[in-house]
Amino acid sequence: MDLPLLSALFLMFALTMYVMLDGFDLGVGVLLLPQRDQQVRNRMVDAIAPTWDGNETWLIMAALTLLAGFPLAYGILVPAFYIPVVLMLLSLGLRGVSFEFRHNSATSRRRWDFVFAGGSLIAAWAQGLVVGGLIQGVDTDLDSFGGSPLDAFSPFCLLAGVTVVAGYATLGVGWLRLKGEDATRAFARRHQRWLPLAFLGMTIITGAIAISIQPNLAVSWRDHRIALSCCLIAFAACGLGIAWLAGRDDVDDRIGFGLALAMMLSGVVALGLSFFPYVIPFRITLWQAASAASTQEFLLIGALVVTPVVLAYSAFAYKVFRGRTPAEGWY
Amino acid sequence: MHDLDPLILARLQFAFTISFHIIFPTISIGLALFLAIVEALWLKTGDLVYRQIYRFWLNIFAMSFGIGVVTGIVMSFQFGLTFAKFAQLAGPVIGPLIGYEALTAFFLEAGFLGIMLFGESRVGPKLHFFATCMVALGTTISTAWILAANSWMQTPAGVAWDHGRLIVTDWWRVIDNPSWSVRLPHMLLAAYLTAAFLVSGVSAWYLLRGRETTFARRTLSLGMAAACILIAAQVFVGDHVGTTLVKYQPAKLQAAEGWWDKTTPSPTPYLWIIVPDQAGQRNRFQMGTPYFGSIWLTRSLHGTIGGLRNTPVDQQPRMVLVFYSFKIMLALGMTMFTIAVISLWLRWHGRLYSARWFLRTLVVMTPSGVVATLGGWYMAEIGRQPFVITGMMRTADAVSPVPAATLLSTLIAFVCVYAVFFGAFLIFTLRLIRRGPVGLPPHALPSGSLKRDLRPEIAGVQPYLSGTE
Ligand code: HDD
Ligand code: HEM
Ligand code: HEM
Repeated sequence: MDLPLLSALFLMFALTMYVMLDGFDLGVGVLLLPQRDQQVRNRMVDAIAPTWDGNETWLIMAALTLLAGFPLAYGILVPAFYIPVVLMLLSLGLRGVSFEFRHNSATSRRRWDFVFAGGSLIAAWAQGLVVGGLIQGVDTDLDSFGGSPLDAFSPFCLLAGVTVVAGYATLGVGWLRLKGEDATRAFARRHQRWLPLAFLGMTIITGAIAISIQPNLAVSWRDHRIALSCCLIAFAACGLGIAWLAGRDDVDDRIGFGLALAMMLSGVVALGLSFFPYVIPFRITLWQAASAASTQEFLLIGALVVTPVVLAYSAFAYKVFRGRTPAEGWY
Repeated sequence: MHDLDPLILARLQFAFTISFHIIFPTISIGLALFLAIVEALWLKTGDLVYRQIYRFWLNIFAMSFGIGVVTGIVMSFQFGLTFAKFAQLAGPVIGPLIGYEALTAFFLEAGFLGIMLFGESRVGPKLHFFATCMVALGTTISTAWILAANSWMQTPAGVAWDHGRLIVTDWWRVIDNPSWSVRLPHMLLAAYLTAAFLVSGVSAWYLLRGRETTFARRTLSLGMAAACILIAAQVFVGDHVGTTLVKYQPAKLQAAEGWWDKTTPSPTPYLWIIVPDQAGQRNRFQMGTPYFGSIWLTRSLHGTIGGLRNTPVDQQPRMVLVFYSFKIMLALGMTMFTIAVISLWLRWHGRLYSARWFLRTLVVMTPSGVVATLGGWYMAEIGRQPFVITGMMRTADAVSPVPAATLLSTLIAFVCVYAVFFGAFLIFTLRLIRRGPVGLPPHALPSGSLKRDLRPEIAGVQPYLSGTE
């Protein structure tokens, strides 16, 4: 059996879970910025408070799978994206503690909300910098990173960062429309009309630039043209669908969120396919970076046995907090 | 900036972020168990005071847990940020261990934390109690895995070299490496002791002010009872940890005891204050208790031990740091032991809640568990130097190829942001303590899950479990 491939699939699975789940958390955080009404902001944070921790755990899972399964790549990529990673970690940190601190402070809640929103924004953007950096390529020197820590701040990466923010915000409005009542829901509906279109547009622009700065991408796109076309069609259809349905009041709010998830999923799959079979795009393949079989086996057994249980009780946690967020919070 | 050493900066950054992280897990592990016990008592007796205790500490637990989570996420990237070469060599060994930690512990904690914090009105009391227990279980499992990873770095086993790579030959020996089975209980006891002294200290403060007396007496009684059992176990386990060290990491214990000579004088005094001269391989000054070294370390009146000169100079840790970190932990452990004995005596005489000098001591001891824990970890980690994996990889060969200026600026960023975390945590915790435990929120009463609250015959007349009422 091809163990490195299985580990890579598990890594992709964890990353996809992260992007879809923490994506909407971060999106809701970003959407606090244009929201002036403190009551609505409270409802928005309540809508993600009980489950954000589990969502973020998928990021840890992805990082650790990379460390265990592809240590060579971990040791190159983390230093290569040193500054974006630290930015992301500090922003995620500020945002994470704001959950507790805003709850405990009536007087300075506005300030913590700002930290919360800013943290979400920068974390999402920093993740986009990493995506951009992967596309444009990482310099390696034998088994170390050989470039400069500022490589990930090229104009292209900055743009990719904005695209990711737009994507997360699209997920965020979907979630808010599903969980919010009255003012919150109306706010979400309003932004649901344009955000998916912005995300779609930004992705097209980013993709066009990507192919001009990374020639290997064209080769990879030719190799996977059928699968990639399916992803792109699904991506565009979902985006247009959300924007169109946003204006109608007679459709189930779940559809908008479901479509946003599908949109994100097809985007991530397309990105994964473009990079396959590389862990460090177009330089080091999965198999070159993989750890020995004893490690891969041990990791995969755990992943296969435990992940279904994790998914089951995570779903249960969501079920406990199903329905619209109560107006007085969860207490 | 060319004279900044990336090695020093990487070590500083790793040491700072992990030291900051461990403060909060220690509190969370202990408080989670405390909350589970208190909730069990509440469900069993229906006594509202337990509910009040639960509610009060839940809030502080949530903040500590939150900081634990976000600083922990940093740690899973820190191996790459600061010690990428270590990650590339040891990733195949410690990566799966921490991966299992995420699978079996982090998800468990995170999945049930929401229910524990926000679910009281959404699930029944039994399920809520179950959620509390799962969170407590998660923190324990987490400790077991991360200690397996760290203990493997201290006393590696179960691996073989293959063309410059490490290959795991036996996973069970990687996990149950020579020091794991003694360090795990030591760490768990440390966390429980930390919580016991934390809750006792806060209760003592209320009692000194004559506030929240019922709440404070009950909490203090629980906290000190736990402390008595825990510290007795801890001294016993700690002694075992030391015995294991003698076998596998002798240099660490040699440094921790402060002797240089190949064999110490007979009888050996126990050193408390030293001014070591690492270059000259001697102490400029030393002071200790006669005979006590022989008695404690060799269980005889005249036994001798070996000093640090038994270890080649290029494999020695810095004595001064190892020595004093160890003495801080030891001194606090002995103080805790003394306090536990006194508490039994006071309890016997019915003065546990009224002896003001004792309550004042407890207030001072509130953060003692955290300080002892940090001391223990510094001893363990600095005593392992100059190796990052004992005998296999030197710390100097482990560093990431990141420019010193980058390391320095992110170190400063970490210090600034963590200062915000710490400041806010202290301010909000002190504010919650000053405000005191609140009664039951009126709107909570009619809800189904709280129907016990409507039965005053249970709530009002419960006899107190212990104490002097
Ligand atoms: C003795 C226990 C202990 C030690 C030595 C460490 N941790 Fe920790 N960690 C925990 C005990 C813990 C915990 C009790 O499980 C935490 C603390 C509070 C919490 O939220 O979970 C946690 C949280 C936590 C998280 C977030 C988990 C979540 O989302 O729930 C991560 C990713 C790490 N840790 C990773 C690390 C790494 C990479 C460490 C070493 C370098 C480390 N921890 C040392
Ligand atoms: C009083 C008796 C004690 C003795 C003899 C003792 C002994 C030791 C020793 C020898 C180590 C080093 C282990 C290593 O390097 O691998 C250690 C580590 C440690 N100690 Fe203690 N200790 C005592 C009390 C305490 C107390 C009271 C606490 C905290 C409340 C504590 C917390 C720790 C921690 C957190 C570590 C680091 C983790 C580890 O290495 O296992 N110890 N202790
Ligand atoms: C949680 C309590 C811990 C504390 C307070 C702690 C403290 C420290 C300190 C002070 C250093 C720097 C030592 C020096 O350079 O002189 C260090 C280094 C290090 N520790 Fe820990 N540590 C802890 C747990 C862990 C765990 C659980 C792991 C791994 C699983 C770990 C892995 C490392 C690594 C990789 C280094 C860097 C290399 C080195 O300097 O030896 N530490 N730690």
